[in-house]
Amino acid sequence: MFDGWGQLGTAFIGFMTPHTLFNVLWATFLGIVIGALPGLTATMGVALLTTLTFSMPHTEAIMVLICIYVGAIYGGSRSAILLNIPGTPASAASTLDGYPLARQGLAGRAMGISTAGSWLGTLFGILCLALLTPVLSELALTFQSFEFFWIAVFGVVVAGTLAGGDPLKGYIAGFLGLWIATIGQEPYYNYQRYAFGFTDLAGGIGLLPALVGAYGVAEVLQAMRGPAIKAVASKIDSIVPRIEDVLKYWRTIFRSGAIGVWIGILPGLGEDAAAWSSYAAARRASKEKEKYGKGSIEGLMAAETGEASSVPGAIIPVLTLALPGSAPAAVLMAAMMIHGLNPGPNLMLESPQFFYQIIAMLVIADMSKLIFGFVLVRPLIKILLVPRERLMPVVFVLCVVGAFSITSRVFDIYVMLAFGAIGFVMRELKFNMAPLILGLVLGDLLEKNLTRGLVLSDGSLVPFFTRPVSAVLAALTIISVLWSIPAFSEGVRRLLRRQPTQSG
Amino acid sequence: MAMAESTDLLPHEQPAPPRTDLWIAVVFFVFATAVAWQAFLMPTYSDQKGMLYTAPGLVPGFYGVVMLLLSIWLGYRAVRQGALHARTAAPPDGKAADVIDARLLSAAGVCLFFIIGLIGRVPFWLASAIFVTSFTGLFEWQPGQPWPQRTRRITEAALLGLATGISITLVFEKVFYVRLP
Repeated sequence: MFDGWGQLGTAFIGFMTPHTLFNVLWATFLGIVIGALPGLTATMGVALLTTLTFSMPHTEAIMVLICIYVGAIYGGSRSAILLNIPGTPASAASTLDGYPLARQGLAGRAMGISTAGSWLGTLFGILCLALLTPVLSELALTFQSFEFFWIAVFGVVVAGTLAGGDPLKGYIAGFLGLWIATIGQEPYYNYQRYAFGFTDLAGGIGLLPALVGAYGVAEVLQAMRGPAIKAVASKIDSIVPRIEDVLKYWRTIFRSGAIGVWIGILPGLGEDAAAWSSYAAARRASKEKEKYGKGSIEGLMAAETGEASSVPGAIIPVLTLALPGSAPAAVLMAAMMIHGLNPGPNLMLESPQFFYQIIAMLVIADMSKLIFGFVLVRPLIKILLVPRERLMPVVFVLCVVGAFSITSRVFDIYVMLAFGAIGFVMRELKFNMAPLILGLVLGDLLEKNLTRGLVLSDGSLVPFFTRPVSAVLAALTIISVLWSIPAFSEGVRRLLRRQPTQSG
Repeated sequence: MAMAESTDLLPHEQPAPPRTDLWIAVVFFVFATAVAWQAFLMPTYSDQKGMLYTAPGLVPGFYGVVMLLLSIWLGYRAVRQGALHARTAAPPDGKAADVIDARLLSAAGVCLFFIIGLIGRVPFWLASAIFVTSFTGLFEWQPGQPWPQRTRRITEAALLGLATGISITLVFEKVFYVRLP
């Protein structure tokens, strides 16, 4: 235990250099700006910065990405409160009570609540990450290929079922992502799959150019398509959070923090689901339900705490199972892989200090977010008013630089462009992008473990269903698919509703 | 999910019309068939004592079959929801939709021009400057705008373009040591 505290202390001390702190400040600031600007999301920010920080040492690069992630999720609430437009999908729930508060002349108080809720939520999430990661890693070390195969399938299926929207389209997107991951040379015979003689395609589809396209380019097109955003002027009162708001709603903070962490851990769901679920749970338990949607302090606190706590929550499965809990966490995981780290159960064995560094990074990013929460009110309002006609071309140039920078292949720019088009069209057709991204990230894990498992069992599928953890994961995957069939889920709900009546 | 209890659905959670879903199902059916067929044609390396379960086509073939089944499910659901009988609803405001599509096509066009027409042909800073200037200038162009105002907008666009091109080149080449296209 004391060794752990020592390693954590070493990690903190290691980051207390002017160079690192400078990186923390600009990255958190950039994250907040990215999050606050409608049309730019946390996933896009992390994807873009992954490519641009490629040449940095791995701890510095991951620190920058975590600051961007934490900052962007928080920054989204600024435009939600001031413009009634969520800066990121995660902040959609914050518009419900944040904007009414701003219209009542309480924009400053709303931003104070958002800052306090977000700061406490991330801290709660970090605590859960610190406690749960070693336990889960220990458990995951007992897993074999059979379990990892199911973890990958479970991830894609759960993301399809629960990430929002039509589950059936979620599955299609997930399997499309898995298929895209098979393009290029396969691992056993170096056979070129779906390359059609093109050398570039034989090298496979780069994960990051695809992510930059699906999120960056698609979002540029989406933003340019929509009608112009009109800013709403609002008087800014004091932004310092009130202690009584925090003390009065401490139950809401803990509940939302726990919900956020849990949803963060579930593969692919992400911060928006965490915010909505926390908001709904707080409303159900509230004594002042009538205030919800009209400027409820509790509602805003719940949404902000939930989304912020899901950030460390989404990193827990990355560190323990190589299974991202959200789309930005998927990109973060890809960044770890690019930097030679091995996310998953072996991470705690191979580089235990990295686990403590992640905790330190999250705490530092959270503190930096708190500072900017107080000092970045008026400058951010000015940034929010930058016309997207001027912002989006700059973002597009950064996307091009980002796509090219990893392998210096012009082909990757075309990959980015193609995925931009795919991402845009799929969004227009009401597909959720999270399962596609998860499929892309987990494709390699799934294929390697499926074939390795089959080799180990000499072609038998039995161990995939009979080993205890495999059986549980298989059952959960099947239930998840069945649950998305309305007739099945309604039947189960009816059955559950009937049982208490019968027993009573 | 509980989240939908009291609030509107997010944009991606809104259901698409059944007719659209039917078309998506058709496209994915054709695509998944092609994926599965290509996988079937891949060698099994049985002549090199390769095992069936390490055959290159096994996993992508499995994905192809799953996508095929899912597309059939989507098509069946769309038909049950009346895709074959539903009338194509006219957009609520045709003129607004046209303007939106024109903006989208313009944005896509300028982006394509940047990648295909500029990158690799002129230095990156200049390519970026031309792209940002033309993008901003195009979208800020308003018919009937007085010339002094228009000249000011174009000058601002050109300055933004130059600033972007030069700053991105300097920051990424000199600070991040990133190679530029």
